[in-house]
Amino acid sequence: MKKIITIAAVLALAPTFASAESFQEAFESNRAMYGKNHTFEWNGKNFSTNHEEEVEAAVAATKENALDLIAKAKAKNKEAAKLGFEWKLTGGILKDAQKAADAGEYRKALDLAAQAKYHSRMGIQQHAYAQSNWHLSVPQ
Amino acid sequence: MKIIKKLALGLGVAAAAQMTQAADSGFDLATVNPEADRVALQNYFESRFPQSEISDYVNGIYAVDASSREQWEELEEFPPYEFAVEEGETLFNTPFANGKGYADCFENGGVGIRQNYPYWNKEAGTVKTLEMEINECREANGEKPLKWAKGDIAKISAYMAWTSRDKPINIEIPSDDPRAKAAYLDGKKFFYAKRGQLNLSCANCHVQGANIRIRADLPSPQLGHTSHFPVFRSKWGELGTLHRRYKGCHKDSRSKPLSHQVEVYRNLEFFQSYMNNGLVVNGPGARK
Amino acid sequence: MRKLTTSICAAGLLAMVTAAPAVAGAKEDQLALGKAVYLNKSRGNCVSCHAISDPDATQAGNQGPPILSMKMRFPDKRKLRAQIWDATKNNPLTIMPPLGKHWILSEEEIDAVVEYVYQF
Repeated sequence: MKKIITIAAVLALAPTFASAESFQEAFESNRAMYGKNHTFEWNGKNFSTNHEEEVEAAVAATKENALDLIAKAKAKNKEAAKLGFEWKLTGGILKDAQKAADAGEYRKALDLAAQAKYHSRMGIQQHAYAQSNWHLSVPQ
Repeated sequence: MKIIKKLALGLGVAAAAQMTQAADSGFDLATVNPEADRVALQNYFESRFPQSEISDYVNGIYAVDASSREQWEELEEFPPYEFAVEEGETLFNTPFANGKGYADCFENGGVGIRQNYPYWNKEAGTVKTLEMEINECREANGEKPLKWAKGDIAKISAYMAWTSRDKPINIEIPSDDPRAKAAYLDGKKFFYAKRGQLNLSCANCHVQGANIRIRADLPSPQLGHTSHFPVFRSKWGELGTLHRRYKGCHKDSRSKPLSHQVEVYRNLEFFQSYMNNGLVVNGPGARK
Repeated sequence: MRKLTTSICAAGLLAMVTAAPAVAGAKEDQLALGKAVYLNKSRGNCVSCHAISDPDATQAGNQGPPILSMKMRFPDKRKLRAQIWDATKNNPLTIMPPLGKHWILSEEEIDAVVEYVYQF
């Protein structure tokens, strides 16, 4: 019986060893080691270590683009707040982004909006992670 | 074919074993066991700090850190909250415009009852805190509710804690209402989940990180956390409520804090207070 | 105005690649930034948990291991960078905030703090 369980365990583990790391893992480990603007290969294709929000911000610094990204970031932050996982600084960053846009500093506005949107996405991700892992630190 | 069957069986057994393990740990409504949690937490701190008496945990960090204890004991000789307790007594005994008073709203005239708070209120289907019922009492008698964080509400709460000193904390989770257990579980989950830009759970500092320095500060152990509230914090220079402290702590994880008396904060208070069952009320307290 | 800034930047870059002292200056600037990040409460605040033998790092905490023998512990500097970027990768329960993953520090600040601690 013990043997069977062992075999089963090996079988269960096997796919983990066989499959390559997920895109998410590859992205994070490359961003962690090299920072942004780095190119890495995953499953035979090249990818950049830039966050999707940084890519979104890399558009023409126009009023329209800035306001659009600010609106997207605000919506994302609302999603995080709904889950009770809004971060402390995000609201302030969004205000600064709006101020920059009002002052015609569209590049700055885009970069701040990207950061706020990223923070919101991470808060949402953190909530999802907590749902299945919160118990890990409970003393048994 | 036979081999495949055996393997399938093995997989099935493995899956079943995993399920049993999960069932033992109390992370869902079906299996959560508050009493087992309380014992496990006590055992955890007993092995972390074998020199400390469990009954002493109501004194927070001073139960486990001898060097700061002396300074604190000196502070408690002329307690900074003394005047606030007196003011609280006066406020408590001052009748409302309709002639009634706080004593009419609470059991035993509001004296010596702190140890039973917070409690599960079946009719309302929610956890009721002492501060919440102080304001409900006011509103029921045509008075405006008090502000939650500090001032009069903290003083009245301090006086009520004062009249309950040394009474054993006695939080009950009624078994005839599954919603009570769900509230407890919600509070427990809040305590152990990582949150905020700094990715900190309450447990990061107050379980794993208890009595280990963050700069020059020592985080207190979670056991005993709520017994001494409301608290006179030297940092505030005044008395404040438990939820004021919750908001501050929540913010320290770089989360946007929630509002006073919001459901999950009350559930957190329910969970934390249950952990203290058997310890005594020693509010109001003085802390750094 | 933007043109002017660009040309100043270009001039700066040119100076950095052509003149050796300027390169040394850039390295010093980076170390100074790393130190500020390490000590400043609203930036990295590393000192709150990690002791370091820098005379300016007073009242260090001890939630995390002290910063020493870094070159020995992290022969590959990129592994050190990754640990600072997201310490939960190796230990999901760690009290250490994911300074890069949660964009607490900018990537430039992380590079700088890596260089700063790598001296110890």
